[in-house]
Amino acid sequence: MNETNPVPPQIPPQIPPIVAAGDARQLGSDPAERAVIPNVVVAIESILRHPRRVMFQLRQPDAGKLIAMMLLVSVVCSLIYGVVVGTFSGGQQLWIAPVKIAAGLMISALICLPSLYIFTCLSGSQARLVEVCGLLAGLLMLMTILLIGFAPVAWIFSQSTESLAWMGTLHLVFWFIATIFGLRFLETGFSHSNARSHAGFHTWVIIFLLVAVQMTTALRPILGTSDTVLPTEKQFFGTHWADCLKATDNELKSRVRE
Amino acid sequence: MIATTEIPKSAGAFLRAEPERFRKWMLCRQGNLVAFCIVAIVAGAGSYGAAMGCWRDPLQALYTGIKLPLVILLTTLGNGLLNGMLAPLLGLNITFRQSLAVVLMSFAVAAIVLGALSPVALFIVWNTPPLAAGTTISSPEYALLQLTLAVFVALAGVMGNLRLVPLLREWTGSAVVARNVLLAWLAGNLFLGSQICWVLRPFIWDANRPVEFIGQDCFQGSFFETIFKALCKLIYS
Repeated sequence: MNETNPVPPQIPPQIPPIVAAGDARQLGSDPAERAVIPNVVVAIESILRHPRRVMFQLRQPDAGKLIAMMLLVSVVCSLIYGVVVGTFSGGQQLWIAPVKIAAGLMISALICLPSLYIFTCLSGSQARLVEVCGLLAGLLMLMTILLIGFAPVAWIFSQSTESLAWMGTLHLVFWFIATIFGLRFLETGFSHSNARSHAGFHTWVIIFLLVAVQMTTALRPILGTSDTVLPTEKQFFGTHWADCLKATDNELKSRVRE
Repeated sequence: MIATTEIPKSAGAFLRAEPERFRKWMLCRQGNLVAFCIVAIVAGAGSYGAAMGCWRDPLQALYTGIKLPLVILLTTLGNGLLNGMLAPLLGLNITFRQSLAVVLMSFAVAAIVLGALSPVALFIVWNTPPLAAGTTISSPEYALLQLTLAVFVALAGVMGNLRLVPLLREWTGSAVVARNVLLAWLAGNLFLGSQICWVLRPFIWDANRPVEFIGQDCFQGSFFETIFKALCKLIYS
């Protein structure tokens, strides 16, 4: 007897990949995203206004050029911001601070890159190593571009106050805000690569923040001055900041006594 | 027909693999999969061990780089028979070879995570005040170093075991059986692994001894006896 209504085979439900809320379209669905990014200016504009275009271009075979452009922008922007940081103390800090900030940022990213790639693989993401490098370069570029935006504010305060602890805190806050936007770009790029979970990425974020913050202590002083370019004594971030706050407190007390 | 050439071609492919693919690798009798896992364990755990040991001395880095993969491999082999017997008893019908390969795979995932974290570990070691004449076991810098490195090992272990859960669930068809098998394997591996670590200590530093591969009193006492004595001291002091 012929079956007129054959039962279709049971297909197990597929676990959908996580995609950022409000933007479930596939990368490249918009023709504007498929336009090649030819130069640095377009790269900066794209990452601010059309980050999906950057994410799509990072999946193309010649993504190396775009990654190199983003890293170049990151280095230049961090050098510029470093000059603003150096204006607090002036003198040699005008060149030492930019070099330390640029080098520290790049080294922190390099230290955390292997763990980012491994955690993205564990989450099921299909992103290749080149794409992960590109997304990390995008994070650095967006972070440093935003720091340039904060530069005038940081400069005004640098010229107004002599408090090392206050300026250090301010620069850390600016850096943290800029990093949040950079991480948002990275997470969105990550979402479009069929990742099943963000737990590994969130773990990596904590590691990256700790490494970056420790790097500021490893390369101290960035804001203040010292007889040596690099510290002679090793310290963890928490200990260093506790010492700085204690020194500031003692200075305030001695001023009050006077 | 199951493909006989399906073996992981890279760490990325291995880590991204779905449970069905893991199961195909298991059923293929591929010696290359086991070889891949062993290479991953030696490379990943070895680089992390080297980062751990370099705080004390370059020679300690070499020794710990050898000892950490050895702990993993000896734990897998030592518990191979037990794990192979517990699995069918708890409802997972696999052979001894397959249970060994599954456990090795979860350790390989953990070792790859450790390898990826080894630059971070090295950065932490580099930032730790160096070993000095005044450094003791209770020194805060040593305590923080020990804690951070242990947290990374725990993180890698958790990730390795989490990777096993969907595979066991896929294989048994039952979340309860998968959970029981995982817990039984975990308990056995933790128990034996702790003692193997105790025997092969030190991994970072021994305050009373020069740099050596294994301490002189390696077979005196046990990890759990030491914990028990410390707890008694804490409670009754």
